[in-house]
Amino acid sequence: MSGTTRSPITTCAAFLVLSLLVVQATAQIFPDPNSPSPVLIHAFDNVNRAMAAPGGSKTVEMPADKSAAFRIGDTARLFVKNVELMPGEGASAFRVYARDENKRIYRFPVIGIEEVAGKTPVYALTVKVRDEIGFWEQPSETGDVEIIVTWRGLSSNSLLFGLGTFGGLKPENPALETKEVQELASPEYVGYRWSGDRIRFLEQATFGPNRSLDHRIRRIGIRTWLAEQFDLPYPSSSNPYPNIPLKPNNIQTGCPEPRGTPEYNLCVRTHYTMYPVQTWFFKEAFYGEPQLRHRVAWALSQLWVTSAPTVRQSSHMFAYHKVLSDNAFGNYRTLMKEMTLNPAMGDYLDMARSTKFSPNENYAREILQLFSIGLFRMNQDGTLELDENDEPIPTYDQETVNNFTKVFTGWTFCNVGCPNSTLGAVNFKDPLVLNQNNHDVTEKTLLQYPNAVNPTIAAGMNGNTEIDLALDNIFYHPNLGPFVGRFLIQHLVTSDPTPAYIGRVAAAFNNNGSGVRGDMKAVIRAILLDPEARGDVKTDPNFGKLREPVQLLTNVYRQFGVTSADGSGQSDGYITPLSTYMSQNPFAAPTVFNYYPPNYVIPGTALLAPEFGLMNTGTSIARTNIGTFLSFAAIEVDNRNPPNYPQGTAIDLDEMTAVAAADPTAERLLDELDYKLMHDTMSASMRASILNAVLAVPVDAPDFRVRTALFLIASSSQYQIQR
Amino acid sequence: MKKSRRRFIKQAGCALGMATLATQVHHFGLINALAQKVDDRRRKSGSLGTGYKALVCVFLGGGNDGNNMIVPNHNSGSISNYSVYSAARSPQGLAIPQGQLLPISVPRMGGLSYGLHPSMGPVVGGNNGLHELWGQGKLAFATNIGTLVSPMTKAQYQNNSVSKPYQLFSHLDQVYQFQAGRSDTFSFTGWGGRVSDEMTSGSNPNGLVPMITSIDGSQLFTSGQSTQALAIADSNTPLNEVLNPIGFEDDPISQARLQAFNEIRAIDRENNYVEAASAITDSALEANDALASYQEVTVTFPNTAIGRQLKQVARIIKKQPDLNVDRQIFYVERGGFDTHNNQVGGQANNLGEVSQAVRAFYDEMVVQGRSSDVTTFMMTDFGRTMNPAGAGGSVGSDHGWSNHLFVLGDAVDGGDFYGINTSNGTPFPNLTIDGPDDATNNSANARGRWIPTASVEQYAATLARWYGLEEQDLPVVFPNIGSFSSTDLGFML
Repeated sequence: MSGTTRSPITTCAAFLVLSLLVVQATAQIFPDPNSPSPVLIHAFDNVNRAMAAPGGSKTVEMPADKSAAFRIGDTARLFVKNVELMPGEGASAFRVYARDENKRIYRFPVIGIEEVAGKTPVYALTVKVRDEIGFWEQPSETGDVEIIVTWRGLSSNSLLFGLGTFGGLKPENPALETKEVQELASPEYVGYRWSGDRIRFLEQATFGPNRSLDHRIRRIGIRTWLAEQFDLPYPSSSNPYPNIPLKPNNIQTGCPEPRGTPEYNLCVRTHYTMYPVQTWFFKEAFYGEPQLRHRVAWALSQLWVTSAPTVRQSSHMFAYHKVLSDNAFGNYRTLMKEMTLNPAMGDYLDMARSTKFSPNENYAREILQLFSIGLFRMNQDGTLELDENDEPIPTYDQETVNNFTKVFTGWTFCNVGCPNSTLGAVNFKDPLVLNQNNHDVTEKTLLQYPNAVNPTIAAGMNGNTEIDLALDNIFYHPNLGPFVGRFLIQHLVTSDPTPAYIGRVAAAFNNNGSGVRGDMKAVIRAILLDPEARGDVKTDPNFGKLREPVQLLTNVYRQFGVTSADGSGQSDGYITPLSTYMSQNPFAAPTVFNYYPPNYVIPGTALLAPEFGLMNTGTSIARTNIGTFLSFAAIEVDNRNPPNYPQGTAIDLDEMTAVAAADPTAERLLDELDYKLMHDTMSASMRASILNAVLAVPVDAPDFRVRTALFLIASSSQYQIQR
Repeated sequence: MKKSRRRFIKQAGCALGMATLATQVHHFGLINALAQKVDDRRRKSGSLGTGYKALVCVFLGGGNDGNNMIVPNHNSGSISNYSVYSAARSPQGLAIPQGQLLPISVPRMGGLSYGLHPSMGPVVGGNNGLHELWGQGKLAFATNIGTLVSPMTKAQYQNNSVSKPYQLFSHLDQVYQFQAGRSDTFSFTGWGGRVSDEMTSGSNPNGLVPMITSIDGSQLFTSGQSTQALAIADSNTPLNEVLNPIGFEDDPISQARLQAFNEIRAIDRENNYVEAASAITDSALEANDALASYQEVTVTFPNTAIGRQLKQVARIIKKQPDLNVDRQIFYVERGGFDTHNNQVGGQANNLGEVSQAVRAFYDEMVVQGRSSDVTTFMMTDFGRTMNPAGAGGSVGSDHGWSNHLFVLGDAVDGGDFYGINTSNGTPFPNLTIDGPDDATNNSANARGRWIPTASVEQYAATLARWYGLEEQDLPVVFPNIGSFSSTDLGFML
């Protein structure tokens, strides 16, 4: 914040004090979200080469002589400045990447960090000169590689580092000392000034930024906005959960003949398809106030997965979604219990028919593997715990699955006597109920871990008691925090968070500050306020995530005031075919493993990137075509009976068209779109390419100019990767 | 006023091919929008059949229950017979009645009769299914195949003296291992991709399309270090449209937009995710040029997901002379085999679809003169427990280990079982729960999860050798192959 200098010295002292107070108060409410960019220090004798010293020596100081070359397996010290560490932030917050002449990327583990004596603030990073990713063989010791240090999503300058010997590689960015954070050209800010971060935050916390949310964040800041969101009723009052009655399993019984009539089709669509869920979902994403809860519930639906058509009725899916949204800001332990007893889940993973006479392992296995702790023991920062042979340690084995299977026996649908019990239909609305006669009451051995909670369950207990004992056994497993934390970071912020980031979020999971474990508000706050998430620009080449199809659609629609086809009202929310075209059919993931696994690695790379599971040659063109569709077309009104899209869906480009019409150079149009879609990160060359295409459109067709620019941004990888 | 969009559509209609788009909008038919345009130019067939070979992987997602795909149909006293099978499964309602089995006579089993799942026979309105191909010597089964680090007995399983595949019985991990072709550690690449890495320079020098095509998205199996598969939609989308961006016409405005689209993809690649996404689009657009025309297949394929996938494969094979590639690997998948419940109807439906689709594909290969050049083989997550899960109408089975896999084509030495002997001296396991082939530490929890005797690597190496992988490259593609005695299970002629 630049203190405005008032020239007359005689300015009233009281005014000065007042203005200082205001400045200070604003600073307290809205701390600068930007971290400084780390600077890798170059050698004394060569500005293109990283200063490097052999690791291991007791005294940590910057070498005054020439930097050496290193062998694979050595330890080396690199020196960085321009970083400000938080308490507890250390080596795991840094990554060191090396790139060889073939553009192969390696990562050297950072195993230590020390402050250089007497030289604040310079830090020595101790790295193992050995690739830890394992996609390629170790780099060859035949000369220089380029290295960078990344921290909080920011990249350092790039310098040479000798492997075996020096030479053989020209630096791409010679002696680039710092990458300055972009100065922002919006002097009219009111409160939360960091406009890039505002848009980025909204991409992470909502279904897409738009003007009104941007203004609101600018006024109240992200912390207050989070607090507001935590308290909003859900869903929006204008878009309540539809109350759809339970129907018989058999469609022919549930919907009266004759088939093929509009009444019959409407009955089938309403009860036996996901149409009501999907349209409700997109309407809430388009127009809902409680964006954050909707977004987190959507993420959780990709963790605790159930899906159509196995989930047959919309009413079943709504009851399941309600468990997600009820608990999105609650406690994870409650979510575990309510989801375990949710009938859609009970049916999907077979717990609802598992008895001591014929047990079914499905739910027992997947709650451990997919919903809570995963396969291998982790440290709090999500890195794998290793045994004495450097091997990962399984969290459980088949015997454990057998024992949990016994815990989960005896539960079934409450078809009689519950609030929603319906004659002739299975009760998918009320929680499963226990039939103790079908419950296996033998002794059970559950998860074993240090200070394990309920590692065994004694024989002869009631199933109701056991389910709480067993869920506590899972809930207190040390893996739960990093497992849930990483998953939500991946869905909201970035695909491959640093261990430091995961560790901070896991710490919030483990203790919300008041001694409570599993507090989702604390977890969400930790994820979205973390310095690795925040800031105007992220320069780390491994920062970001592919927008999943649903997010790609809602982000474009929301930013441009999504309306009905004729622009007179709201969209009906029926955009499912667009999403499905890109291989994501909402609430119909192919299996319990979701649309993409959380550990998906992009083929041909070592990049962790879950959403890329839906990105291949075919769907990349689908995404391009969707860019064309969104920019140049709309979903027109459906005239069938019943109509699937009675209102249709369009974007409103009037405002952008006015901008384009007022400025024949199209520069202002590009400014606006750059800000709205790319939070002012569009490169000069991308801008130049778009301008060429825009200026090829006659000046008297401003609407066409807007659509051309919109297509080129929306279809670009630069936009499709959320950073 | 919201007229701008309509006005635009009117103004821009010609330039943008807006009529096409508008139709697509109205019917939501982005995929099916354009009428299929079959290029009827005569193809020169001079190079047909000159050394072309293709492997087609049919993945049965979820873990097909092999115990109900191949059932003992005999009363032998020396090895597991129908009664052993029936005793394990009929009380819960999971046993297939003996009279419904489709009998096969198995030389390797002393000529004893086994039975295929009844869904693998003829279908009214369809074709004769896979069963008929057994009798014609075109269909073989590799039996008791599974993930292994090295061969393992039950005693070794119990005393942990031999390394086990990591995370047995877990879907994702077992799928990865089946597709990776190794079970000792995580692999970034699949065995199909690594075969392609080794053979692309010699067998696909022009690279008009990658050596591997998936009709079911990105798969570990199809990924090598240098090989990235083409992944395209099924036959509902004409081959010339699967990778074709819409909305670009010949007018200058459209061309300027296209030029910018291409320029933007070439820049800002400092971010690795941007780089990856742009590279995928690059390869899509390169392949799009090669797929600009195609000829329709002859045989009627079933209109099922797996049928449409295999039909798309058949279209590409028919286009081989244009694509100028001597070796191709394809991946298709039918999910839904994770039958923890409702297995009786569910597996019959799924396996029936596979049988019909694979048979149609085989018949099309015969028509194309490719049935000796194209070998179709099955993979799946794992086998399933002999002991059922649940009982009655909703009965199913849980995750198991070894499985039986079909292989078919005219290059297959069909009509027999192939594998490594189990405890009973044959490659078909002893079906006794808690018996000598059951992987269990605790008799009380025994479910009948058969310990594999032949590894995924051995199965895959047999296929890869036929495909043309050099002997000395086997350990490159299958790093762990040295842990197993034989690298050829013998089912390829």
